[in-house]
Amino acid sequence: MNEAWRFFLLFFGAAIVANILLIRFIALCPFFGVSNSLETSLGMSISVIFVMVMATSVSWVAWNYVLEPLGVGEFLYIPTFILIIASLVQFVEMVIKKTSPPLYRAMGIYLPLITTNCAVLAAATESVKPGFFTKLNIPYNYGFLESVVYTLGVAVGFSLVLIIFAALRERLDMAPVPKFFRGVPIAFVAAALFSLAFMGFAGMFGL
Amino acid sequence: MEKKRTNFGEFIKGFIRVNPLLVLMVGLCSALAISTRVESCIFMGLAVIFVLTCSNVIISLIRKLIPDQIRIPIYIVVIASFVTIVDLTLKTMPAIYERLGVWIPLIVVNCIILARAEGYASDARVSHAFMDGLGIGLGYTCVLLIMSVFRELFGTGEIVMFNTTIVSLGSKSMPTILILFPGAFITFAMLLALLQWHQQRKKPEAKEGPE
Repeated sequence: MNEAWRFFLLFFGAAIVANILLIRFIALCPFFGVSNSLETSLGMSISVIFVMVMATSVSWVAWNYVLEPLGVGEFLYIPTFILIIASLVQFVEMVIKKTSPPLYRAMGIYLPLITTNCAVLAAATESVKPGFFTKLNIPYNYGFLESVVYTLGVAVGFSLVLIIFAALRERLDMAPVPKFFRGVPIAFVAAALFSLAFMGFAGMFGL
Repeated sequence: MEKKRTNFGEFIKGFIRVNPLLVLMVGLCSALAISTRVESCIFMGLAVIFVLTCSNVIISLIRKLIPDQIRIPIYIVVIASFVTIVDLTLKTMPAIYERLGVWIPLIVVNCIILARAEGYASDARVSHAFMDGLGIGLGYTCVLLIMSVFRELFGTGEIVMFNTTIVSLGSKSMPTILILFPGAFITFAMLLALLQWHQQRKKPEAKEGPE
């Protein structure tokens, strides 16, 4: 029971309380770039959830079984993690192209973009490498399963906000806003209010 | 219309015309997250300028040797090496390192740097690439400084750098929201609106167009 509660806290904390987009400002470029329409943000979300969980799992293995025993973690973790992510994205792209062409067409452009999605690297670095600052009250020294659950939480939080925001922006296009605020500025104002709403989750379950 | 590229022109364009944050809208995440304190902005700006300039120069130097199919991995490796240099250098200053936290490794995937490598340095002369990196980096830092001065001064009522208070507004009650997360979005929205207002005022004929 206690263990299950801990996993729930990890997931909930990563997804809602310390939401990666609105509370921590990571991966804002896809947030504003892709959230123009509901359809594209759905495609982006699915690919991000998949790649993020894969990337963290592989990075965790690489850190604990290769980098750390060899004592080169401090120097090589950035290139290693980013190469893992880049090759994973490439690999996933090839597999999807072979197995399911409709899915590949649906998320074609978003797959390569994920390589430069900061959230993937951030989640991998935070959950794998010990000693990074945390806003959750849970110490970072995650085992494999904990890392995966944490990353899943981050990815689900990302998708949730991306999809809600896309829905919001479709309405924003028709709203009567002052001329200077039209387009991107009003989207930022909306994001500010959205972020304010998410601050209300702070402190939930003692996180 | 194509203007001749000059070193100075490549340098100056990063401030307004192709400012990475305000016009190209890339690299937003770090700008919004870091700009709560002027001090961390200075270090982040220096780090980005260093990585951007060095990677631009290296990529421009080896641009004829890179096969087209694997250029992105090569760019990323070049960038990652410079980021590691910054990472290990900043580690000697624990106070700064702790505040910048995960943002240092995230410079690798900062869209500004990859976009400049891919879109500019891959077919530009070395001297132009150097000036471009310097200009874009300084443009980024300028926006960062404007935002952080505004947010720190009005959010907390004073600007603290290296443990000394530089400017203080006295002990009035301040709108703390500016230093919190929504404040970043609002400040940036105001900056963008200001820029749009400026552009629309400069060419009044644009106002007549269909809304």
